[in-house]
Amino acid sequence: MTATVPPPENHPTGAERGAPARPTARAWARENLFNNRHNSVLTVLIGAGLVALTIYGARFLFVTGQWEPVRTNLTLLMMGTFPRAEQWRVVVQVYLLCAAVGLVWGGLTASSRDRARDAGVPFSRARLRDGIRRWWPVFVLLVALLGMTRTWLPLAFVASALAVGVVARRVMEALGAAWRGPAWFFAGICALAGWQVVSGTGGIAWWWGSALVAAAVLRTTRNVRTDARWQPLARFALIAGAIAVVRAVYAQFDFSGVGWDDWSGFQLNLVAAAASIVLAFPVGLAAAVGRRSTLPAVRWLSVGYIELIRGVPLITLLFMGDLFLGFFLPTEDPLSKVTRAIAVMTLFTGAYLAEIVRGGLQAVPRGQVEAAQAIGLSAPRVLGMIVLPQALRAVIPALVGQFINLFKDSTLLSIIALTEILRIRESIHGQREFLIVGIAETLVFVAFAFWALAFTMSRESQRLERRLGVGER
Amino acid sequence: MTIRRTVLLSAAVVVALVAAACGGDDDATTTPAPPPATDAPADTAAPAPPPATEAEPPPTTEDTVALSQAGGRLAEVLDRGSVRCGVRDALPGFNFLTPDGEHEGFDSDFCRVIAAAVLGDAGAVDFVDLATSDRFTALQSGEIDVLVRNTTFTASRDGKEAANFVYTTLYDGQGVVVPASTGITDLEGLEDANICVAQGTTTELNLTDVMRSRGISFNPVTFGESSEARVGYTAGQCEAFTSDKSSLAVFKFEIEAGGGDEQFILPETISKEPLGPAVLDGDTEWAQVVQWAVMATIQAWEFGLDSGNIASATGDNPALGRFLGEEGFDPGLGLPSDFAVQVVSQVGNYEEIYRQHLEPLGLPLDGSVNDLWTNGGLLYVPPYR
Amino acid sequence: MPVVSSWWRRTGFLSAIWQAALVAGVCLAGWWLYGNLVENLTRTRIPTDFDFLTQPTGFAIPENFGFDPSLPIWRMVLIGVQNTFLAGLVGVLLASIVGLIVGVARLSSNWLVARMAQVFVEGFRNTPPLVVIVFFSFAVFSFGPLPVFPEALDLKLPGSDSNWLVLSKSRIGIPSLSAERHTGLFWIIVVCGVVAAAGVWVWRSRRHVRTGEPHHRVLWALGSFALVVIVAFLALGGPYAWSLPARSENGRRLISGFGTSAAYLSLTLALALYTASHIAEVVRASILAVPKGQSEAAGALALSPFQRYRHVVLPQGLRIAVPPTINQYLNLVKNTSLGTVVGYADVTNLTRTSIGNANPAPQSIAVLMGVYLVFSLVISLLLNIYNRSVQLRER
Repeated sequence: MTATVPPPENHPTGAERGAPARPTARAWARENLFNNRHNSVLTVLIGAGLVALTIYGARFLFVTGQWEPVRTNLTLLMMGTFPRAEQWRVVVQVYLLCAAVGLVWGGLTASSRDRARDAGVPFSRARLRDGIRRWWPVFVLLVALLGMTRTWLPLAFVASALAVGVVARRVMEALGAAWRGPAWFFAGICALAGWQVVSGTGGIAWWWGSALVAAAVLRTTRNVRTDARWQPLARFALIAGAIAVVRAVYAQFDFSGVGWDDWSGFQLNLVAAAASIVLAFPVGLAAAVGRRSTLPAVRWLSVGYIELIRGVPLITLLFMGDLFLGFFLPTEDPLSKVTRAIAVMTLFTGAYLAEIVRGGLQAVPRGQVEAAQAIGLSAPRVLGMIVLPQALRAVIPALVGQFINLFKDSTLLSIIALTEILRIRESIHGQREFLIVGIAETLVFVAFAFWALAFTMSRESQRLERRLGVGER
Repeated sequence: MTIRRTVLLSAAVVVALVAAACGGDDDATTTPAPPPATDAPADTAAPAPPPATEAEPPPTTEDTVALSQAGGRLAEVLDRGSVRCGVRDALPGFNFLTPDGEHEGFDSDFCRVIAAAVLGDAGAVDFVDLATSDRFTALQSGEIDVLVRNTTFTASRDGKEAANFVYTTLYDGQGVVVPASTGITDLEGLEDANICVAQGTTTELNLTDVMRSRGISFNPVTFGESSEARVGYTAGQCEAFTSDKSSLAVFKFEIEAGGGDEQFILPETISKEPLGPAVLDGDTEWAQVVQWAVMATIQAWEFGLDSGNIASATGDNPALGRFLGEEGFDPGLGLPSDFAVQVVSQVGNYEEIYRQHLEPLGLPLDGSVNDLWTNGGLLYVPPYR
Repeated sequence: MPVVSSWWRRTGFLSAIWQAALVAGVCLAGWWLYGNLVENLTRTRIPTDFDFLTQPTGFAIPENFGFDPSLPIWRMVLIGVQNTFLAGLVGVLLASIVGLIVGVARLSSNWLVARMAQVFVEGFRNTPPLVVIVFFSFAVFSFGPLPVFPEALDLKLPGSDSNWLVLSKSRIGIPSLSAERHTGLFWIIVVCGVVAAAGVWVWRSRRHVRTGEPHHRVLWALGSFALVVIVAFLALGGPYAWSLPARSENGRRLISGFGTSAAYLSLTLALALYTASHIAEVVRASILAVPKGQSEAAGALALSPFQRYRHVVLPQGLRIAVPPTINQYLNLVKNTSLGTVVGYADVTNLTRTSIGNANPAPQSIAVLMGVYLVFSLVISLLLNIYNRSVQLRER
C-alpha cells in the first residue's frame, strides 16, 4: 500500500523564481514553529528531546560505539562466503551495472530533453545538488563503508565505478535519437552480461544467454513484415534454433563457474530480491490475467493460488521451501537452498504482483479494448498490444514498492539459515573476539544499509509516480 | 466475494490435508508394512539387486549391495569433486567464519578430514550453513553429504530422523552457566528461573526432562539458535544459559577474557552429549567412509603420527604400514589406500585438531574423556586391518 | 441468427476442452508431486499422517508455567495460536494509536512536529521489520538502567505495599483484570446488552425516519449498552477485579497481573512501530483526500466544526482509510511469525521447535498454514462486512 498523495513539495520553487521574497529566519520560525502557544510548547519540548537524542546518537556513532566487529568484517558482511578468488566477478558486475544505469539514465535525460525542445519548454539538466538531495542516503552509506575500510582499493573501486556510470550517461546524452534504441539494448546486454560474469558459464547461465539471443532475434526481425501466415512460426523456429546454438556453445565449457549458490552477505539480499521479482513477473502476469479470465477453471486456479499465498506469512512458505520442498521432487539432484528460497520468494511475490497488475488492468478503460476488437485484433493481441502496455505503465510505482518489500523481506532468509547479511551478522558474533562486542552496532549497520537503499528507492518511486501521473493528464 | 473465495480456499486446503492424511494411511496399509525398521531398505532392494556401477569398488559383503542401492553417495561425491558438509557458522571453537569468509574450528576441520580422505584434497568442502531446525531435513533431502554440526547422537535421531551417526568426535555433557554473582550453585537454585536455551535441540529436551523429574519449575526462553540464546543471556533476558559444557567453557572463557561479568558453570552434568558426524541412513558404504576417515585421525594420534612427521614415517611395523597404505593395502572401504596420510598431512591428527581449536578456549585435552584410551580417555578405535 | 459452425469450433466446447486440459495438467502435476512426497517420506521413514498431533509435546513452553510437556502437540498449537493472537491484538491496538497520532502530526502546522513525524515514518517504513525486532530484543532491552530479573524495579502504590508495576530487562509486570466470580453469567448479560443496544439503535432510527427528530442513535445505543454492563457488573458483585503484579515467594515469578517477557515486548513494539509508520501514511492520505471544499461547504450550511468533522470529513476519510488499514492489520498478524527469532512462543515458533524435535515437517507446516489462513479469513471477513456497509451508504 503506497501513499497516493505526493508528499508536500519542499523545493523552494517560489524563492527561486523570486516571486515572494524568501522569508527571514525569524519570520519563518514564527510562522512554522511558534505560531500559537500550543505549538510553541511543542516546539520547545521536541527541540529539547531532539538535541538530547542528537548528542546521544553522535556519541554512539563516534565515541562509545564499538564498530570494530563491522570494520573487521566489512567484506564478510557485503559478500559473505563468496569465494575470494572469484571476487573480480563482483567487481566486473558492478562496473557493468553502473554502465547500464548510466546509459538508461542518460537515455531518459536525453529523451526528456528532446521532448522539452519539441514542446518549446526550457530544459534544465538535473544538477549535482539535486542529485545529492535525492541520493544522499546512498552517499552516506558509501562514505560509511569507505570510512571503515583500511586500504585505498575500495575507494578506487567506488570512484571508478561511479566514473563509468557518469561517462556512460554522458555518452548516451550525446548520442542522437536514432542511436538511442540500440543503446538501450546495449544497456540490457550490459546488465545481463554482468549476471553472466558472476554466474560463470555453468548452472543456469545459459538461460540468460538464450534470453539475450532471443531478445536480439526478436528485435532484429521486428520490422520484417510479410503477410505470410508462417511468419510467426518462422520467427519461433529462428529463436529456438538460436537457443539451441547457445546451449550447444555453453555445453562446450566444463567450467561450472560461480552460481547463485555462492552468493552470500548483502549481495545475496540484493540479488535474491532482484532475481525473485524478475522471475515473479511472468507468474504474476499470468495469475492476474487468469483471475480476469472468463474460463472458470482458469479463474479459480488463479484465485486459489493468489489467496492461498497471500493468506500465509512468507516465513511459513520459506519453511516449506527449506524443510520439504525437496520432498516434492525426485531426490536424484536436490535443489540447493538458494534455489529453493528463490523459488519460494518467486511464488510469494507472484501472488502480490498479480494483485498489483490486476489493479492496473482494471484501470485500463473498457473503450480501449472495444476499439482494439473493433479493428479486428485477436484476443492475445488486444492483451499484449493494447491492455498490458497501459496497465503496466500505471503500476510501475507499485512494482517498485513491491521490490522494496521483497528487499526488506530478504532478511527472512536468515531464519532458514541462508547466509544473507543478518545471518552473517550473527556469525560475526561467533568470532571469539566479538562474542558479546558490538551487538547493537552490527545491527545498526545492517539496518542502515537496508534503510539507505529502501528509502532512496521509495522516494524515487514517488517521483516516478508523480511524473507518470502528470504525464497522463 | 473475497470471503467466499477464502472460505472455499480454506475448505480446499482442509480437504487437501485430509486427503493427504488419508492418502498416507492408504499407502501405509496397501504396501506391506516393514515391521522392523532396519529391514526396510533390504526389503525394497531384495527383488532386483541393482547392478553396481563401474566406478564403485567391488562390494565386499552382501550387506553393502542391499543397503547402498543405486551407486550411493560416495560415487556422487567423487563425481562432484567436493564434500557438502552441513555446519553452523556461529559456534566459536567448533565452526565460525573468519573475516575472510573461511570456516575455522573443530567441526569444520572434521569436514576437511572427510574431504581429504575421500578426494585427497582437504579444501574440497562446500560448507552449508544450517539452522538447528533444518539440519536433519538437509540430510534427509540429500542436500548435504554429512552433518558436522555439534549434533548429539540419540536414538530417535538415529531412528526417526533417519540419521546415521558415525564415530563420536567429542564426548560432551550438558551444563548450565549462571553469573557468578548470583551465588547459584545447583539446579535447585534455579527454581522458577528464566533459562536461555536453543529450541529444537536435545539441550531443550534434556533441560525439560531433568527439571520435571526433580520437580523444579522453570521458564525456558527459547531461541532459534544456540548463538542467539547466548546473546539473549548476555543481554539480560535470562538468569541462566544452558548448552553443551564445551560451548559453555568457550563462552565463559571469552566473556571473562573480554572483561565481562564472572561466570559460573554449575558442576552438575545434565546429560550425556556425544557429538559426532552424521550421514543419511541406508548408505552403509558412505557411512563407513566417513567413519574411517574420522577414526584415522585418532589412529594416527595413537601411532604418534602428526602433520609434521607423517611425510617421513615408514611402516616399521605391519600395522603402521597398513595404515600408511604401503604395499597398497586396501580394506575395501572405497577409500584410497593412502587416505590416512592425506588426512593427517593436510589436516592433522585428532590431538592437533583438538589442541588447535578447543584447548585455547579453556577445554584441556589431557585427562579429559576425550583423551586416548591409553591415557584413560574414551577414544578407542578398531584396528585398521 | 448466428452462423451455425461445426460443433468442435464452438466457443463453449473449446473453452471446456481448454479448461479440462488445464485442470488435468494441474491434477497430474499435483499427483506427481504428491507421489514424490509420499515416496520420499516413506523412504526416510517419516510418517505421512497427522498422528503426531496426539503425541506428547516433550518440551516446556516459554512463559507458560502451567504447560505440562507431556500434553499432546495439538494443545501446544492452541497455546501458540493464543500467543499469536495476543501479540497481534496488542500490536494492532498500539499500531492504530501510534499511526493515528503520527499521521495527524505529519499534517501539523508546526514544522518540527511534521518533520519528526516524517522522520518516524520514513525511518520505520524502510527498515526490515525483522531487523527492528532483533534490535529491540538484543539491543534496546539490554541497555538502560533496568536490572536483570529477579532483581527488578518494583513501583508501589502510594500508601500500600503491593506493586503496580514491575520493571526489569527481561520481565515487565503490569496490572491486569482477573476473573473473580460469575464471569460466565456476566458475559451472557454483556451479549444481551449488545442485543439491547442494537434494538435501541433500530428504534431510534425508525423514530427518526417517522418523526424527523434527531436520532442520536450512537449515544443512545452506547448508553443503553453501558447501562446494562454497569448494572450487571455491580449486581454480580464485581465479576472482574484488578490484579496487581505480585511476585512469588522466591521473587522469581510474577504470579498475578499481566507479566510480559522481553521477547513479547520487542515483538509487539517493533511490529507496532513498523505498522504504525504504514498506518500513518494511510491516515495522512485519507485526510488529504477529502477535498477542502467539502468542509467549507458544510461550514456554509452552518454546521459546527464538530458536525463538519463528524458528518462530512470523517465518513469520507474513513471510507478511504479502512481497507488499507485492515490490510496493514493483516500484515501485522502475519508478521508476528517473526517472533520466532527472538524466542516468542507464537504458533510459528512452537511449530518450528516441534519440527526440530523430529515431528514431520510437511504436516506441521500444513497445520501452521491453516492457522494463518483462518486468521486471514476472519480479518478479510471484517473488511468485507465494512466495505458492504460503506457501499450501502453510498447509494
